Amino acid sequence: MTDDVKVADKTDSLTDLKETDEDLRLPSVVEPAHFPVETIDTEARHQTPAVGQRATRPDGRLHGLGQTKYIDDITFPNMLFAKMKRAGISSALIKSVDTSEAEAMPGVAAVLTGREIPVNSYGPSYQDQPVLADERVFHAGDPVAAVAAVTEQIAEEACERIKVEYEPLEPVYDPVEAMKDEIRVHPPHSNIYATKRIKKGDLEKGFAEADRIFEGVYSTQMIEHVPLEPHASIAQWDPNGRVTLWSSLGRITLGRADIARTLDMPINKIRIVGTIVGGNFGGKNEITTEPALALLSRKTGRPVKMVYTREEEFIASTTRHPFIMEYKTGVTNDGMITARKVRLVLDGGAYCSWSETTLGKACILSAGPYNIENLLAEAYCMYTNKTMTGAMRGFGAPQVCFAYESQMDEIAHKLGIDPLELRMKNAFHEGSASPTGQVLQSVVVKDSLEKAAERFGWKEDGQ
Amino acid sequence: MKKRGKGMGCMWYPIGFTVMANPSAATVKVNEDGTATLITGTVETGQGSLTVLGQIAAEELGISTDDVHVVSADTDATPMDTGAIASRTTYVTGNAIQLAAEKAKNILFDVAAPMLGVRPDQLEAKDRRIQVKGFPQSCLPIGEVAAHAQNGAGTPALGSASYNPPTVAMDPETGQGKPFSTYVYATQIAEVEVDEETGEVEVLRIAAAHDCGTAINPMLVEGQIQGGISMGVGMAIQEEMLFDDEGRQINPNLTNYIMPTSLDMPDLEVDIVENFDPTGPFGAKGVGEPTAVATSAAICNAIYDAVGARIYNLPATAEKVLAAIKSKDHSDRQKYLPAG
Amino acid sequence: MTDVTLTINGEERSASVPPETSLLRLLRDEFFLTGSKLGCDVGDCGACTVIVDGLPVNACLMLAGQVDGRDVVTIEGLATLEDLHPIQKAFEEFASLQCGFCGPGVIISAKGLLDRNPDPTKEEIKDALSGNLCRCTGYTKMIEAVQDAARILRGEKEAA
Ligand code: FES
Ligand code: FES
Repeated sequence: MTDDVKVADKTDSLTDLKETDEDLRLPSVVEPAHFPVETIDTEARHQTPAVGQRATRPDGRLHGLGQTKYIDDITFPNMLFAKMKRAGISSALIKSVDTSEAEAMPGVAAVLTGREIPVNSYGPSYQDQPVLADERVFHAGDPVAAVAAVTEQIAEEACERIKVEYEPLEPVYDPVEAMKDEIRVHPPHSNIYATKRIKKGDLEKGFAEADRIFEGVYSTQMIEHVPLEPHASIAQWDPNGRVTLWSSLGRITLGRADIARTLDMPINKIRIVGTIVGGNFGGKNEITTEPALALLSRKTGRPVKMVYTREEEFIASTTRHPFIMEYKTGVTNDGMITARKVRLVLDGGAYCSWSETTLGKACILSAGPYNIENLLAEAYCMYTNKTMTGAMRGFGAPQVCFAYESQMDEIAHKLGIDPLELRMKNAFHEGSASPTGQVLQSVVVKDSLEKAAERFGWKEDGQ
Repeated sequence: MKKRGKGMGCMWYPIGFTVMANPSAATVKVNEDGTATLITGTVETGQGSLTVLGQIAAEELGISTDDVHVVSADTDATPMDTGAIASRTTYVTGNAIQLAAEKAKNILFDVAAPMLGVRPDQLEAKDRRIQVKGFPQSCLPIGEVAAHAQNGAGTPALGSASYNPPTVAMDPETGQGKPFSTYVYATQIAEVEVDEETGEVEVLRIAAAHDCGTAINPMLVEGQIQGGISMGVGMAIQEEMLFDDEGRQINPNLTNYIMPTSLDMPDLEVDIVENFDPTGPFGAKGVGEPTAVATSAAICNAIYDAVGARIYNLPATAEKVLAAIKSKDHSDRQKYLPAG
Repeated sequence: MTDVTLTINGEERSASVPPETSLLRLLRDEFFLTGSKLGCDVGDCGACTVIVDGLPVNACLMLAGQVDGRDVVTIEGLATLEDLHPIQKAFEEFASLQCGFCGPGVIISAKGLLDRNPDPTKEEIKDALSGNLCRCTGYTKMIEAVQDAARILRGEKEAA
């Protein structure tokens, strides 16, 4: 190597530096602190007994000061930024992925495809979701490659230069259509990937005892969690072959096991640090980008951060299941429910995620908080080539509640019974048996009805 | 013409998971001055669970919320936890914490008993003291006992424990079984105003009465209920992810995916229904998810009460409500079968 | 590169950034003032709200170049070494924030309102916060906290 830089040049650059320093006009006074250092607490935090106190939250103070460190507020020296290339096609075979142009871009440190992932599948109950799609695309938001670069913009541009060749496959979007299994989302498996059934008493006898029978079909929409903080993670591979992940994941113990499986590594080589999460609502209960970031960090020897854009939050994270719900209910003229038959069809999206739990909870809860001797509830969850559905605040309960409470209202109006009274007549009491035969304790359905009615002034203005 | 109506929604909701076990473990250490550190593997995702869990540990040790520092969410350092999911944190993690704190407390009792000349089972922890039950003037500051436990007796006060809700597997054919340990109950009642010309719905107020067992921190419970209702309002009348013919989302942004703002929120009147569940920590159950369950039903029933239009398909957007009003007595879509 | 010199929380600061840099990126990436959050980057969520020359704006929608010579107040500029700002204190006391991600933006919007209107009605508060999305709280406890802070700022109530 020749070193032909002259000493004079070096002096020049030092002068330059000095000038830049002055240009920057660095503040002569030290910047003020952004927060008080004295502790000023509310009484409730210091009182005993602790239970029942309206104690304030120490993290709440940091939130208000803007001092809470969410993932995107954390930076490490030499950190790279990752982006993912999204399929944009909902069902297809991947013929080829050409990353050469992206890799050649200045500022790009590494590109990762699905074939480089040791075990390219994950999921809390079925491992049916690839970290990066390698052979097949199941929904339009699927990632097909990941890039780590020195800036987010470069990573994004590099994603655009990755060329993927697809062979389109016939998709299925409608869950009822999917139920026919003519087009399979995950062949050879059936689209009906989870079912649940609850049977109690004698349905026919129950309907025979009814004076009136009500039938209705209800449906609900797909909903996004919209946590204000998008999914985010940072991965750092260390020279001992351990990887640390700072993640917005809400369940780190099980997430660690999932990551260990995808990376084919012992669990004790993985550390997950759960930071303060900027809203979860069920949407941050499974791993997403973590294995890919870990591998990008291993490839580059540098920490790698990825934060979902708002659009990715919609297209690449889980959502609330749309439901189609058939309800048939037999009642006596004085408003006692004698039998109920429920059929639930869930649009399960491209991957199982938490669908099994959602299906189970929805099915168990579908009859409502009412004493019903004769019951049949059946629920089916279907794969479709849409954004995956998963856990969201209530696991199917808001959907079935919309159906059973809408029907209760219809029954009340048609029978000319006050909606409050109809519910009071049928509501669980202490020791009631649930649809699964469980004897219930600490039951306060009626108290809640009365309290809400009183607070609202339900009886005051008449119908 | 704008018309008003009222409607109710009533619900039940289980605490914890089904399908698989969902344990939590915790460690509680009492420091030499009687303050404590709680170590848990759960993650704070906004609901204030770390504060509530600290309150549970504090209650068991007879100290204040501020006396407990909570360390959480690092797989290298914190014990196993199934996570901040399924409204299980207060109940499952809370039970584990109470058990762990009890173990630490028993060490303090063992140390304090000879100091006070009584048996350990005669002692209780209250108001930052270890005192004799029924004779509180015989007592020691908890810090003194904790210091003696560590520096004198050589048995530092700490405890670890785990908890998993007792369940019975469901029969695959009939679904009979005990899938959850316990349930919560709630009612929400909504008042709405519907514009008959446009179909537009304004939710004016919602009264909500929720059971969560003992409210460990009523202020945070109220916050959960208010937040859950806002999600329910979105589900009832605003939010919907839409797809084009090729399975691509049409509105993956907050410009076109409409969720409640401060202007969409009704006045809320929140009540906590008094209850005590003997299986929960200090009688507590949970509150996170159930708050979002009954809202859409209450709102749609209120729409029916206002204009006689029954909504079968969420969300009840202005177009849908208007269509339902136009096809007057939409409720005739209801089929009546003869009995039997 | 664009050179900008602006006042942030009473301090004059300068930087040289690519011309497409937003005010939000300038604050977060150049000055490490990470209190202002990025929730959407297109002006929909309000998590990035800061005060520019007295008025709340979405920092993600402003270019760094546009704030040259102007006065910016961020969430970091509200508290002092001695005490929280009354709005911050009220938000803590009322547990107005849950996950907190929307908090800095909401508090800045509230400050923008109270600076102009020391005695707002509930409707005016709702209006002022309508550009700040919050998924956790249902806004109720925020509105109560802003009312309480307004009382303290007007001197009608002793600060706790
Ligand atoms: S980040 Fe600026 S409005 Fe959302
Ligand atoms: S507190 Fe979570 S978004 Fe507002």
